[in-house]
Amino acid sequence: MDLELSDEQVWIEESVNTLLDRHWPPAERAWQAGEAERTRLWESLVEFGLFGGSAHGQLGAIELCLVARAVGGHLASVPLLGSLAVRNAVAPVAAELPDGFAAVLGGDSRVSVALLEPGRDWSISDTSASMNSTRLTGTKAAVEHAAAIDHLAVVAVADGQPGLALVAAGSPGIEVTPQSALDAGVPLSRVTFADAEVEGVLEGELGETVIDRLTTVGGLLAAAEAVGAAGALFAQAREYASERRQFGRTIASNQALRHLMADLHVRQASSWSTTLFAAAALDDGISGAHQTASVAKAYVSRAAREVAHGSIQVFGGIAFTEEHPAHRFLRRIIMREQQFGDAAHHERQIGRALAAAASRVAA
Amino acid sequence: MQLAETASERALADEVRAFLAREDFHSEQLPHELDERMAVLKRWQAACYEAGFVGRAWPAEFGGGGRPPVEQIVVDQELAAAGGPEFVNVVGLGVLGPSLLRFGNDDQRRRYIPPILSAEEIWCQGFSEPEAGSDLASLRTRAVQDGDTFVISGQKTWVSWGQYAALCGVLARTDESVPRHRGISMLIVDVSSPGVEVRPMTQITGHAEFSELFLDDVVVPRENLLGELGDGWRIAMYTLGHERGTAALPRQVKLRTWLDRAVSVAARREIDGRPLLEDPEAQRGLARALIGIEVLRHHAYRTVGEFLSGGAVGPESSSVKLLMSEAEQRLAETVLDVLGPTLLSGDRDDVPENDFWYETYLYSRAASVYGGTRQIQRDIIADRVLALPKE
Repeated sequence: MDLELSDEQVWIEESVNTLLDRHWPPAERAWQAGEAERTRLWESLVEFGLFGGSAHGQLGAIELCLVARAVGGHLASVPLLGSLAVRNAVAPVAAELPDGFAAVLGGDSRVSVALLEPGRDWSISDTSASMNSTRLTGTKAAVEHAAAIDHLAVVAVADGQPGLALVAAGSPGIEVTPQSALDAGVPLSRVTFADAEVEGVLEGELGETVIDRLTTVGGLLAAAEAVGAAGALFAQAREYASERRQFGRTIASNQALRHLMADLHVRQASSWSTTLFAAAALDDGISGAHQTASVAKAYVSRAAREVAHGSIQVFGGIAFTEEHPAHRFLRRIIMREQQFGDAAHHERQIGRALAAAASRVAA
Repeated sequence: MQLAETASERALADEVRAFLAREDFHSEQLPHELDERMAVLKRWQAACYEAGFVGRAWPAEFGGGGRPPVEQIVVDQELAAAGGPEFVNVVGLGVLGPSLLRFGNDDQRRRYIPPILSAEEIWCQGFSEPEAGSDLASLRTRAVQDGDTFVISGQKTWVSWGQYAALCGVLARTDESVPRHRGISMLIVDVSSPGVEVRPMTQITGHAEFSELFLDDVVVPRENLLGELGDGWRIAMYTLGHERGTAALPRQVKLRTWLDRAVSVAARREIDGRPLLEDPEAQRGLARALIGIEVLRHHAYRTVGEFLSGGAVGPESSSVKLLMSEAEQRLAETVLDVLGPTLLSGDRDDVPENDFWYETYLYSRAASVYGGTRQIQRDIIADRVLALPKE
């Protein structure tokens, strides 16, 4: 048991933070970033080696969470979550991948995950999109950056079992309709597939294993990004409270705010602990790692929101203005909370698992 | 970061499990009567010490195991997971023992540490007073130097296991002329000394696990001073942080065994012919309780991780303490909600189980008070972690 981040892990996060400082606008202007900024950031991340090169081999879930936390802290937005999650999800079965998959994921292709369907929840069993080994039909919602990616990783049913298809963006039969979204920095779209051609399909047990890991890693990365955003907002609130004076004293000297901020610190620090722990459990193949990730996603979904709300309260009225960046962080936090299952979704799942385990013992 | 157990950690866990299988003993078998309970608990800790499971990371020259701290974590978790009772010399192991190791001299360590580990001498702490609770530094118990002795007078409260203790670490004011934090010293008091009176106090659970301690001109030899004169406050802060940081790991395992117990009760009991556990609201409540316990574990691991690699247990232990009380109280309340009217069924078979949950619930209210209240923990975080200005 070794519970400290390694020097390499610390270095990866520091490097990505430096890179974001250099290639991405500051948080208050980040939402205005366009394709030019996104492309520049994406290229620098590729150059850093997130998709190949020397750093690549060491990137487990822990490292990806470190990257995602840095991204959240900067309110950066590139098709990173899907691109990293899909690659991490297939890594354990790399030898069994069909050619189409291996070719695409071996490069620096930008990939978004298409899982959620309109009117349904994040459970895989809710999937109605269907496919065979060459064609895919169905409708997916909340697909990130759908207009600026190379591939879609689509969850769809093949022969009655959920599988994962890789589809080239822009193929005939794909229609992308932009959706309204809370976080203007991360464009979401509804994507309709009408007999669209697939480049590769993971079916059967292999498909199930990969999808399980994809949703787990995806949820962890969403959580890590929310932790990053909440941490950055809280740091600003703390600084503000230490300078802002009312009634002849800094507002941070009032016990009501001191205790509020102490609670926010606990939420923030423990959110990161549970995210890291779940990532480590996944990397080490600890049994129950998927449920641990569910615990982390459920907890962070509530906690990051609490940190954002508390921070906004510390700022007071100024944080309710459009020009203040607080709401940009809040928007990102809520958006990530909803991705790969919100708190209620995971709490229901964990509760059902507890009940199922108890009835197995009783039987 | 590596969660997987090493081969030696796995071997140690096996060793603990083999010991547990031999001893075949868990908390449910504890006698209810307090004197008998104490005798059994002392024997239990002695057996565990004999097996090398107490003070495993403490220095070998003073009776400890001299092993890496991670091994004590492995042991504590295995013991707790099997439902083994907590070590009864909790104040000696968690508070005064670490203080002796850190601030004591070798004579004191040789004299006091081994019987702490074996539970031969139970320790208590004389910190709080009726007029000095959260504001510990306002304590009024006085120790006056008289040649080679101190003469102590005052009143202490919340003295856990005071009526069974052989020794007490007493915080007393030794200097009135300096700022109040600096005039406090820590003295080791033999509870059988003339002038010491212990009066057990009954808690809301009906048990008397703590006492009041009255000191009336109690004479203590000078060699019983821990550290230097005026070090008392520093020692108390060190030890309380230590207690908060390390208690969480066995505690979360205990909470987890309680959660599992609650789930199986909810699966057994029915309302309107349906098991309580089929109710989605009950499932979700228990899930949230589990999440609280899990996150406590994850955060404690990360904080203790810093401690294991040589860092001191710092103010971050207050975060662990807050999560611990939150997890315990959430669990206890959730179980009341989930069991609901079945607690009132009057079914005789349900009485022991109901009593357990009532007691667990009542006890949980102390979790945000003992060892520094929730509000004190927030103050510590505001001051020492967030460094918020005071004016």
